[in-house]
Amino acid sequence: MVKVDGRELAWREGMTVADLLGELRDPYPYALARVDGRAVTRHEFDKAPVPDNAEVFLVHLVVGG
Amino acid sequence: MATFTAREMKRFGYEKPLIEKGYANQTLYVNLSDRDIAVRPVTEQMKEVFVGGKGFDLWLLWQAVRGSTRWNDPENALCIASGPLGGTPIYPGSGKSIVTSISATTGSVMDSNVGGYFGPYLKFSGFDALAIQGKSKVPAIVFIDGIEQRVHIFEAAGLPGEAHEISALLTDYFGGGEPKDISVVTTGPGARHTLIGCLNFSWYDQARSRSRLKQAGRGGVGTVFADKGIAALVVRWHTVTVSSNNPADLSALKKVARLHSRDVVEQDPKQNHMSSVGTAHLVTIMNDYDLLPVRNYRYGSHPDAAAMGEDVFRGLFDKGFDGCWIGCTLSCAHGVKDFVPVSGPYKGQKVFVDGPEYETIAGCGSNLGIFDPLFVVEMNFYCDTYGLDSISVGTGIAFAMECFETGLITTAHTGGMDLSFGNRESALALLHQMATGEGFGAVVGQGVRRMKEIFSRDYGADLAVMSDIGMEAKGLEFSEYMSKESLAQQGGYGLALKGPQHDEAWLIFLDMVHNFIPTFESKAEALHWFPLFRTWFGLCGLCKLPWNDVTPADNKETPEPAKVMKHVEWYAQYFSAVTGRKALPEDLIAMSEKVYTFQRIFSLKMGFGRRVHDTIPYRAVGPVTVDEYESRADRYDGQLKDIYNLDVEGKETREKVRILRRLREERYERLKDAVYERRGWTEDGIPTLDTVRRLGIDFPEVLEVLKAHGVA
Repeated sequence: MVKVDGRELAWREGMTVADLLGELRDPYPYALARVDGRAVTRHEFDKAPVPDNAEVFLVHLVVGG
Repeated sequence: MATFTAREMKRFGYEKPLIEKGYANQTLYVNLSDRDIAVRPVTEQMKEVFVGGKGFDLWLLWQAVRGSTRWNDPENALCIASGPLGGTPIYPGSGKSIVTSISATTGSVMDSNVGGYFGPYLKFSGFDALAIQGKSKVPAIVFIDGIEQRVHIFEAAGLPGEAHEISALLTDYFGGGEPKDISVVTTGPGARHTLIGCLNFSWYDQARSRSRLKQAGRGGVGTVFADKGIAALVVRWHTVTVSSNNPADLSALKKVARLHSRDVVEQDPKQNHMSSVGTAHLVTIMNDYDLLPVRNYRYGSHPDAAAMGEDVFRGLFDKGFDGCWIGCTLSCAHGVKDFVPVSGPYKGQKVFVDGPEYETIAGCGSNLGIFDPLFVVEMNFYCDTYGLDSISVGTGIAFAMECFETGLITTAHTGGMDLSFGNRESALALLHQMATGEGFGAVVGQGVRRMKEIFSRDYGADLAVMSDIGMEAKGLEFSEYMSKESLAQQGGYGLALKGPQHDEAWLIFLDMVHNFIPTFESKAEALHWFPLFRTWFGLCGLCKLPWNDVTPADNKETPEPAKVMKHVEWYAQYFSAVTGRKALPEDLIAMSEKVYTFQRIFSLKMGFGRRVHDTIPYRAVGPVTVDEYESRADRYDGQLKDIYNLDVEGKETREKVRILRRLREERYERLKDAVYERRGWTEDGIPTLDTVRRLGIDFPEVLEVLKAHGVA
């Protein structure tokens, strides 16, 4: 199981951030995700692993500056 | 070392007014030439038109200077203000001060915002703003004692040279055993020997038992300070409570403050981790999106950027509360404890370094081709304590390095120094030379605009090439974002009133990452709204980071997520609760538009403020060199084909560079047209008569300036 923005989602072996977004069917153009606190940018979504029991936050806008 | 002494030269007693709805309703005037000290009233019209903070500063500065006033004339004024919401201890980010003056690098109006306690303490001591004119022939300390209700001018002797030592010494000297009551404004030796001097504003970190520093960096305000013979400004105040501003509606204030504070506490750990890494979180994000300046903005990324990522700085930063004002839950002003520099006067000694933030990491790191976090920490330390703007230092050295690597200058000009990108020893050596005013560092410390003039005139360097790669506009060095792929950010930099500082519009992500502003019209609208909303923070004494560096959980569901409207609504409620002036979100924009437009006309008064002054170097717009083009050839070829319908088959890179340049420069000019129209300005970038009348800033002296420039 992984937690995504507080919601539970079933985990599977080899899951990536891109896979997780596909499961959610969330089309929002997230620029950043935090996987157990680690920052992952969009470029890494299809490579960045999501471990079992991970806590993931999808950062919908990084505005800053 | 000589013992510090402070000999009183003038004493002025005053009656501290009650703060009413965020205002002291008076300002303090000090003239260092004749040691005149006076209290001047704040009128209702001032509050209505200028609100406070930067607005008050600009009005005071406007009255002090003529169009011909130069930065080092005695009549130039250094103005510092908080704002009506400044000093609130329960709302995140409520401790900012704004400094304005005629800039040493641009010759025009400069404003720079800074944390620390000075502005709020100044207000609670009885003054919404401070204006200093004249020059002292001896090192002067202006001490505003809000507790005793006296202003003193002291002649200082035996002060140390560096800012962190001056702050510590004067905090102890004037604190009377209560160092938390003191805030000190200082600069350092670098400000006396360069045009890019900064100011340090202190607060006393009780948990760490030391003075901490934030900087008003841009535009040489520290150089103006040093030129006036000011050794330090000191303010003393004691109790700060939620009632200190005497808000119109205390209950409403507490309610909205709780909402925003809680939002920060809940969301920051899920988003940018500002409370543990500050703006250092941006380094790898900018790198991944090809927006991190590398080697004088030639490139946008580098494989070694992760060496300066947030995890590294999380490990370096000392843990603890790091708010630069009381009660801020974002608490992002981090520092490195017990750092041991490897160079300079503090080599081998343990020091505390306030920072680094993203700008210094990028400017004094990646932009120099250096990816060593400890090097960046050392540059940060010396920039602050020498009183030097770390953005101008970084962008300036980056320019010198590219000139060196391309043979525009040689070791014959640099005093034998190898200024190849990546050379840490040379970068540090330049910084130390800036502090002493010696060697090639003294030349670099003149800033990019003057370096171009010097290199061309004295070294025979090609001015046309340097005009393309010298990253300054209006005389101010660019801050640390690679704008060449973002038309919106080109506008954000080029159309900024004071020069290319991102505090007016940071649109790079909206443009490049999210494609939220694809059309000219949407970019023009963004370049209207965002600079105005960001201006509003400076009118009120607020930091903008709690607005959009942390966003509500449901922000993405809102119609305009980039504006973070829930927070904007809270800010409107905050303003209403303190001042009693009912405000909706659109009213905040209206407030700012008056001051923003006034500042543009002020630039015009000083001989700037026209379309030609909104020009930016081509390095900020597109690839200057064949190498830059070929580093992103797929992207540029694709754009020429897909956007401009050009067949690039068989064309040499040199020709493609030339074609793309023409297209991009035309595009930037069309953006100017769209933005000027949206802002109610002429094609030459001057506010129209209709606009100034609509905004209620059609004062006789404003109309005179417009008339002199053909707008009547």
